[in-house]
Amino acid sequence: MQFILGVVFFVCVVGVLDARIPWPREPRRVPR
Amino acid sequence: MAARAATGAALIAGHFGFAALVKAREREAPLWALMLATVWLDVVFVPLFLAHIETIERAPGTHGSYGAAIIHADFTHSLVGAALLSVAFGWALGKRWGRRTGVVLALVAFSHWVLDLIVHRHDMPLLPGGAASQPRFGFALWQWPWAAAALEALMVAAGAWFYWRAAREVSLAAGGTSARAALVAWLILAGGAAVLALDVSGLFG
Repeated sequence: MQFILGVVFFVCVVGVLDARIPWPREPRRVPR
Repeated sequence: MAARAATGAALIAGHFGFAALVKAREREAPLWALMLATVWLDVVFVPLFLAHIETIERAPGTHGSYGAAIIHADFTHSLVGAALLSVAFGWALGKRWGRRTGVVLALVAFSHWVLDLIVHRHDMPLLPGGAASQPRFGFALWQWPWAAAALEALMVAAGAWFYWRAAREVSLAAGGTSARAALVAWLILAGGAAVLALDVSGLFG
């Protein structure tokens, strides 16, 4: 049970909140 | 390991702490993907456990408490199986997030096997399938459960601390505040502590 709670909490809650922090992004490959 | 339903085998919080630690250095990799990568082997383990393909049994002389299990995860937690699953995870997400991030995610996924190696009780095989004659690995730190729990707590605290420092730095550099960085770091710390406490107490079995 704690595994499922942990995955939901860390992947969804923490991960979504972290996405609002202005981390650098890896440049996308542009098709030539 | 994921499921505690049988006897209470789990290294969960430490994996999440490690993912936060990696995020502090590999800043282009999304944290949610790092968090998923670090437990990817256990995510695959769950359906195999429910199908009775991979199983957990109580370690002899224990009472089913934290870390008191022999885990027969001969596909997901074999050395070769873990490597293949990790490469597949990194390849799949690398198509979306770029090659470097894909490699980082594959390595973080495989870190699960390395961290489990420290605590498991000689039950992690070399090859998938679980042939009886093959070598099995595990340094069995779970024989000293409070040492294993202390290691997990240390990883959570280190992950939250280094995450906070990195997130604060990029937030301030972008002209923002460090409030969100602090919030996420506290959630990592509090969430990790809660998961570890549930794990050690066996509250949810």
